[in-house]
Amino acid sequence: MLEIEKLSYVYPDGHNAIREIDLKINEGESVALVGANGAGKSSLFKLIIGISDIKEGSIKIGGLPVEKKTLKEIRKKVGMVFQNPDDQLFMTKVYDDIAFGPRNELLSDEEVEERVTGALEVLGITHLRDRMPHRLSGGEKRVIAIASVLSMKPEIILFDEPTSFLDPKARRNVINTLDKLKMTKIIATHDMDMALEICDRVIIMNQGSVFADGPVEKLLLDEELLLQCSLELPLCMQKLEKLERIKIEQNRQSLFSNQI
Amino acid sequence: MHMADALVSPAIGGIMLAASAGAIAYSAYKCKDDLDEKKIPLMGVMGAVIFAGQMINFTIPGTGSSGHIGGGILLAALLGPFPAFLAITAVLLIQSLFFADGGLLALGCNIWNMGFYACLLVYPLVFRPIVKKGFTPTRLTVASIVSVVLALSCGAFSVVLETLASGITELPFSTFVGMMMPIHLVIGTVEGIVTGAILVFVYKMRPEILESSLENSKLTPGVSLKKVMLSLLVFAVVLGGAISLFASANPDGLEWAMQRVAGTSELEASDSVHNAFAGIQQATAFLPDYGFKSGSEEGSAAGTSFSGLLGAGVTLLLAGGTGYLIYAVKHKKKNQPEA
Amino acid sequence: MANISDSMSTINSLEEMADGKTIIHQFHPMVKLVITLLYIVLVVSFDPYNITGLVFFAFYPVIMMALAEIPYKPLLTRLLVALPFAFFAGVSNIIFDRDLLFLIGTVPVTTGVISFFSIMIKTVFTVMAVLILIATTSLPQISYQLLSIKVPKLIVEQIMLTYRYISVLMQEVSNMYTAYMLRSPGAKGIKMKDMGIFVGQLLLKSFDRAENIYFAMKCRGYDGHYVYAKPDPMKSADWLFLLLTAGLLLLMRFFNLSQFIGSFL
Repeated sequence: MLEIEKLSYVYPDGHNAIREIDLKINEGESVALVGANGAGKSSLFKLIIGISDIKEGSIKIGGLPVEKKTLKEIRKKVGMVFQNPDDQLFMTKVYDDIAFGPRNELLSDEEVEERVTGALEVLGITHLRDRMPHRLSGGEKRVIAIASVLSMKPEIILFDEPTSFLDPKARRNVINTLDKLKMTKIIATHDMDMALEICDRVIIMNQGSVFADGPVEKLLLDEELLLQCSLELPLCMQKLEKLERIKIEQNRQSLFSNQI
Repeated sequence: MHMADALVSPAIGGIMLAASAGAIAYSAYKCKDDLDEKKIPLMGVMGAVIFAGQMINFTIPGTGSSGHIGGGILLAALLGPFPAFLAITAVLLIQSLFFADGGLLALGCNIWNMGFYACLLVYPLVFRPIVKKGFTPTRLTVASIVSVVLALSCGAFSVVLETLASGITELPFSTFVGMMMPIHLVIGTVEGIVTGAILVFVYKMRPEILESSLENSKLTPGVSLKKVMLSLLVFAVVLGGAISLFASANPDGLEWAMQRVAGTSELEASDSVHNAFAGIQQATAFLPDYGFKSGSEEGSAAGTSFSGLLGAGVTLLLAGGTGYLIYAVKHKKKNQPEA
Repeated sequence: MANISDSMSTINSLEEMADGKTIIHQFHPMVKLVITLLYIVLVVSFDPYNITGLVFFAFYPVIMMALAEIPYKPLLTRLLVALPFAFFAGVSNIIFDRDLLFLIGTVPVTTGVISFFSIMIKTVFTVMAVLILIATTSLPQISYQLLSIKVPKLIVEQIMLTYRYISVLMQEVSNMYTAYMLRSPGAKGIKMKDMGIFVGQLLLKSFDRAENIYFAMKCRGYDGHYVYAKPDPMKSADWLFLLLTAGLLLLMRFFNLSQFIGSFL
């Protein structure tokens, strides 16, 4: 369980990135974190994973507060998949990249092997095991970045824009992959359609604070609310609306022509 | 300025590999002590930046020719001397493997010529003192130009020494130096100006980067930087002296080694076994010495008789034929299952 | 820009070759490394006037390339890049070293001519040897072996990291370069006065990238050094290949077989 209490964060340059956030995310939840660029999604992630130091408020993960001396423990519980897989995958072999986390836990070679194979199998990418990351496609790299976090067996995974810059097929693959994962997921994204599809709850951030928090079906269909935060309806909904409008128009036209 | 394997003798290549290995080991040791763990990915990425950055052509005004950036001084200013030296070593190794830029035997020479002088000699002794009083655009530019020119000159001069000591080219010292130095002076000036411009820009945007590397270049208290550098310099001079002495006496290191082992450089055609090969004996590879080159001694001149050359031609044909044969057999095998 | 895309395709093609599954590819990386070094040392150790013995070393690249199924063309193009400097060094030998050896018809053959060819042949052989190594053994494989001969871990990490990010950075440079050139028609390259900002921007972006990489590493439990798998030990087949090849190379070095063949002609 992730508990955030009265969390605020100001960057050294004075930029107020997070303002008084209170949040509670339960085990097994799949949460979409949406908001315009600069709304504070990345800053929040950085605080949860301990890259930025918490100065005001607190974050607790399974009761354990995030602070300097608990970081090691925290990072075993919480994994993060970075937006750019080139930042995350820095080794010259896929296997080594996925094994990086387990090896840092000083597991034995057999355990490492087991973890890596496990992660590869769950994601259905065993064939990529011995490839070089820099020779893979963007979609493949994304999935491997996920595997590199999965092999650490975290309780919570934070995803930063997991579907950005992908072609439709690769995006679909990543969405299906995410849907397969059963641990707690917090997905920062602009991809409203994905959020609608695989998340149960959505948190809308605006200018550093939580603007709205509730079930996906409710919030993501509220056009007025979304527009207020520089967001928009999921595309599938826009399409539906457009279809409906066309239908109404057609009806009206047929009525009109009937009148003549 | 990359030296190729073919222009280095085993002795020179070996000595320079050892010297560079020493410098690498020392740098790695220094980094182990006080390297911020954050710097490890940074060094790797910066190495890749230099690698890619060297491929950017820029036009030199008024000349119509183009140049590209160097690496040593820029890296040292951004990372500090020891991390920079390691980063450039990695770059040179990769270049030697993938691009035939230099070779494996010459790698020691190349690391020394292009990494050691810039990162471990010129940066601490020239660059750092100039900018120590505080970074200003003028100081950064002056320091960059002076440092790059110096580092390149040291490197170019070493190329001359190493090539001549290897005894491969007959180019006289003065001609060689006369060819290498002026051109590298020009290249150095251009490169230095560009390096300065880059550093000025980086300093404007993120001053802390240059400041932190300047601080990190400090050695642990109690060890005077000058002392360390002076001893390195002395070491380099002694090394250079040793190389030239060794090389002038022994143009061919392997020959020299054989001489030590066999007691003579010409393996005696001992009665029974070698009698059968009496014809070849005269021409065994390690026999000829410079004394033979006048060709006065019959049949020797390093085995370069006419028949020897003919034999060489046949050998090449044979080698080619062997390769073709293997290809053919492999090809046949592959096609068989389909047939 | 030609330079960058050339380099990217060179690296790509060599990496693809190293993915091969031939017998040469399967030998232990250490064996190939040692043999390559031995080959280079033996080749350059030849006296500048002894090209007849030297020529016999052509067997190594030819056989290796055939066995490893390496196509000739890409390697030969790389070779061309390495030749000019050797040519320059060699030509000076023709000029300065003019002792007459013998005449072929009326064409005088001087020691300088012989040593010129010697330099060129050595260049071809040594460059081929290195390219064969990298075409049959991936760079990470080679780097792992460096760990087992006690090369400091830090430098091995540097090689791996640099190698990993070369393609990323080249792509970035290439994009920036294209964007620049599209906005400066007629320019042959980047103007020297723009280089500071151009490379400076690249550096700043890379600093941010390095920081992200560091954070990503941190999130996975990194604390200053990382652990690699131990490289596989050498098998008996590897030892056999090593001893056999090394033996043959040494034999070729110390018995001038060309001369032997020539003596029958």
